[in-house]
Amino acid sequence: MSGARVALTPEEFARVEAQAVAEYPAECCGVVLARASTPERLFLPCRNIQDELNRKDPERHPRNARTAYYIDPRDLLTIGRREAEGFRVATIYHSHIDTGAYFSETDKRNALVNGEPAYPDAIYVVVSVMGGRVDGANAFAWDAASRDFLPVGFTIPTPAR
Amino acid sequence: MSVQVYIPTPFRRATNNKDRVSVEAPNVKALLDDLEAQFAGLKGLVRNEQGEIHHHVNIYVNSEAIESLGGLSTTLKDGDEVSIIPALAGGAAPAAGPSAR
Repeated sequence: MSGARVALTPEEFARVEAQAVAEYPAECCGVVLARASTPERLFLPCRNIQDELNRKDPERHPRNARTAYYIDPRDLLTIGRREAEGFRVATIYHSHIDTGAYFSETDKRNALVNGEPAYPDAIYVVVSVMGGRVDGANAFAWDAASRDFLPVGFTIPTPAR
Repeated sequence: MSVQVYIPTPFRRATNNKDRVSVEAPNVKALLDDLEAQFAGLKGLVRNEQGEIHHHVNIYVNSEAIESLGGLSTTLKDGDEVSIIPALAGGAAPAAGPSAR
């Protein structure tokens, strides 16, 4: 991979912020796709279907959307089709409700497939929404040496003036 | 009869980084059998030991989830596109076992 990885551009962060506030007190989620060869990026907000899963099968899905997200498989199908066009998943974002912007054990576990990162090149952005307002954000990426997701430098992007 | 199978990023480690695989199979079960025969690393990723699709994996034929078609018996025809889509999930709460999604 060449050059520094951009977790979210200022415009993308503004969209994440707006989505996180609009969907509060549910966790919001989405991805940013990017091409390796061009600066083209696609911002894809996704639908969190955790509440539906919880209603349908509370034993298997004991949490609701306040403490968990589950991207609508139809959105994942769209992402897959974009990947087939040459895009890759660059950033995966979601919000935490009335708690910090940390990468939880659930986030870590679900980001792994058989112990390996599902999207090894992706940056995971977690946004904290406290009382309906965005309170902070952090980014995490897979570190092959420690075999863990570690914080990566991230400051909330502000639009150029 | 040839069917195109889309392999998502999380499973490509098991398919030598192939994102598309061509398979000849009359239905979804036969397709998965064929895929697992071609790529042993896929065993256990898509189905459990009983041959059931993991609850965190969704399979689409063209744009239809197989649950709304015929499940593993869903018939395939020449030119169909099959997508195997693992869940993308997480959340603030601490892990509470395999059903925490």
